[in-house]
Amino acid sequence: MKVGAVMFRKNLLIKIVLTLLFSLSLLLSGCGTDKSGNVKETNADGGEAQVDLIKLGGGDWGYPTPYAHYPRGPGSFKMAMIFDSLLERDEKGLIPWLAEKYEIKEDGKQYLFTVRNGVKWQDGKPLTAEDVKFSIEYASKYPMVSSDIGSKDIEKVETAGEKQVLVTVAQPSAGMLYNLGHTRIIPKHIWEKIDKPKEFTQPEAVIGSGPYRLTDYNKEHGTYRFEAFEDFWGPKQRVKVVEFVPVSESILAFENGEIDLAGVTPDVLSRFQKDQQYKIVKSPGFWGYRLLFNMKDNPILQQKELRQAISYAMDKNELIEKVARGAAIPGSAGILPPDHVMYNPKAKQYELNLKKAEELLVQLGYDSLDEKSIRKNKDGSSLSFNLLVGGEVRLAEVLKEQLAKAGIGLKVQSVDSKSRDARVLKNEYQLAVTGHGGWGGDPDYLSERFTSVSKGASSPSAAALRGYNNVELNTLLEKQNLAMDEQKRKKLVFDIQNILAEDVPEIPIYYTTGYSVYKPAKYDGWMFMFDHHELSHSKLSYLERN
Amino acid sequence: MNKQRVTKLAEYVFTVWIIVTINFMLPRSMPGDPFLHLSADEGEEITVFSEEQRKYYLAYYGLDRPAGEQYLSYLSELLQGNMGYSLYYNEPVSTIILRRLPWTAFLVTAAVALSTVIGAFLGSISAWYRGKWADKFLFFNLILLSEIPAFLLALILLFTLAAGLGLFPLSGAMTHFANYDSWLEKLWDIIHHVFLPTMALTVTRLGSMYLLSRNSMITVLAKDYLRTAQAKGLSRKRIIFSHALRNSLLPIVTRVFLSLGSLVGGAILVENVFAYPGLGHLMREAVMFHDYPLVQGIFLAVTVCVLTANFLADLIYRKIDPRIAG
Repeated sequence: MKVGAVMFRKNLLIKIVLTLLFSLSLLLSGCGTDKSGNVKETNADGGEAQVDLIKLGGGDWGYPTPYAHYPRGPGSFKMAMIFDSLLERDEKGLIPWLAEKYEIKEDGKQYLFTVRNGVKWQDGKPLTAEDVKFSIEYASKYPMVSSDIGSKDIEKVETAGEKQVLVTVAQPSAGMLYNLGHTRIIPKHIWEKIDKPKEFTQPEAVIGSGPYRLTDYNKEHGTYRFEAFEDFWGPKQRVKVVEFVPVSESILAFENGEIDLAGVTPDVLSRFQKDQQYKIVKSPGFWGYRLLFNMKDNPILQQKELRQAISYAMDKNELIEKVARGAAIPGSAGILPPDHVMYNPKAKQYELNLKKAEELLVQLGYDSLDEKSIRKNKDGSSLSFNLLVGGEVRLAEVLKEQLAKAGIGLKVQSVDSKSRDARVLKNEYQLAVTGHGGWGGDPDYLSERFTSVSKGASSPSAAALRGYNNVELNTLLEKQNLAMDEQKRKKLVFDIQNILAEDVPEIPIYYTTGYSVYKPAKYDGWMFMFDHHELSHSKLSYLERN
Repeated sequence: MNKQRVTKLAEYVFTVWIIVTINFMLPRSMPGDPFLHLSADEGEEITVFSEEQRKYYLAYYGLDRPAGEQYLSYLSELLQGNMGYSLYYNEPVSTIILRRLPWTAFLVTAAVALSTVIGAFLGSISAWYRGKWADKFLFFNLILLSEIPAFLLALILLFTLAAGLGLFPLSGAMTHFANYDSWLEKLWDIIHHVFLPTMALTVTRLGSMYLLSRNSMITVLAKDYLRTAQAKGLSRKRIIFSHALRNSLLPIVTRVFLSLGSLVGGAILVENVFAYPGLGHLMREAVMFHDYPLVQGIFLAVTVCVLTANFLADLIYRKIDPRIAG
């Protein structure tokens, strides 16, 4: 019996090793295979060649109408393939689109848009100024998923002559041009009878005036098929059909030729770097993490010097190396990321400097250490905080190590991201990390985040900043919002960044920069929008450019 | 007899009511609401709703009303067969579920059938050769296989058979935008897609089915009447598969039906690996987005499936166990 048991155990060990080796070899062989998909050569005579089909990673992001696509994910960009807006975004800024020109009147109280001639809806009817008027009124009554105009913003909309639309807004605001220009124009003859736009998912709901028509959408499989609209008023489509198909693993699918563009993590970058047939593009850093201070309930955090000390104690480059594996840009103390069109390169920055951090903390009275090497003051209270995070545990742990070197204690509390959001909104935290996109957007988001004057209809993210008040900053934020002149506004936004960098009301940790890979031989028309980080999202990526 | 049936029915109705109530409360006790987004996953875009928009939507879906009122209207709607309207997917919950349910049902049924048949077969062999080489070999390997988590196995299959060798599609349930010449071709395409997910689920279940039937078989094999059969000189095959297996089926059948619920759990992970458009894939998203009506709907659908399975187990048990049937 005993011998048998030993034998069995020996066999067991061998079997385990063999099984492990086997599965490992399977995994490796799986990873190592490099299948180059069928590259379709396009005739390179100028920009005239039209690519027949581009396939991209899909998934269900909702029925692509301005109301039925999902608030999360790239649904709004699918919708924008079909629906035009008055203005469009290219690499540098806003460009005329359905509106061939616009005028800002009465110091920003009125906007006069001239609607382009000869624009057709995809059902053949002409697009008129009346449609534009209807759309703006409709959008202010029923908020579109990704439009920023609400019922309080618009005073009235009138048509002026055949081709012009005059919008009078309630409050002049620098961001209003973007918000109006971004609003989707929908056909009046289809939508005027609809009073539950979110539930309107009939075939005619996807009739727009854009360069592409929706020819197939499957919710359960998450597939979209867009076909070039022949009567499109604008630049010729360089791609005839764009298909979105779901993929389980985008790199595998890209290598197998199932999709033509893929996001790459830094780990697998080297697989594509040496091969000439691939082109790798780095995205601008418009997605970032920020460290929030609850200054309302923690008077100690109201001290600017303490927030500065935390900035000095943070090693953002180490965080990028360890957590983002190199694919990020250190957060700028002036909040706006370096890729932003109004970034102030001269705003103060906080490089890692433990000595300065120490000095500041000693100044604040934290001049001795407790038994855990955390700083304490004369009253014996230690400099230690709870740090609330959603899924960002790695980030939080590295941050904890870093701050510990300066004698600042952190206790990491990890909850699910919705709970974190709810607690931040209710101010139930001391320090928190959140991450989101949109850092490339109109700089007026600075007023939403940092103004201490209640604007009534502010976004929930503003709530994160109760307990902070800087009168000078408030004035400047208001001024930039009223500055209709781009250059004047830029100067004001520069000043704002200087104040924010000095005050440190929050710390942007880093902005992530993804990589995308594609085969230029197949298609090479990809572009970024000036405020957005994804190549496949702009419809200009599929149109001829001049 | 009739009275018994009525009590049984009342029991089921009561259970459903309890579950419906829990379904209503659970998602609402999660912090945050469906229209609150301060953060997104890395690289992902979200539309941040303004406070005004958030209030508009909460009122639109009646989520600003007191919980009691919401609960009553939910119950009365449900009694009329209305499962509500999904906050995230902009569609009636029942439509979404009915479209997704067949895929999961297909996947789970195939996995149950395969793992049961193969498990019972291997278990019988193992029991017959108890203690011999074949038994040890099967025992060790099947236990080892069943210890691999379903999603990991799914990933290994994905990397090797689909990506490495290109034998199977990487994801989905059908070829997209395809025009089939015949229904046979379509069926083949669907089977081709479901093969790997089914395999992952089958293999992870195989161990427990194998163990169960092996144990059950060992018990049965020790019974006197099998010794008689052996003494009569019946063939091994005949003894195992017609005498013994039949009698050891009872616990297997019960297990099959009782484990349907837990299988859905495995299906969630596997469906997510293969981007398979079933209920599991949907459930993850519904919970993540706090889509209350959809979460309630899916849980209710799963509950009803499990209760039906229980009910069927009850019926079949009566059929094959002469002691209960009466």
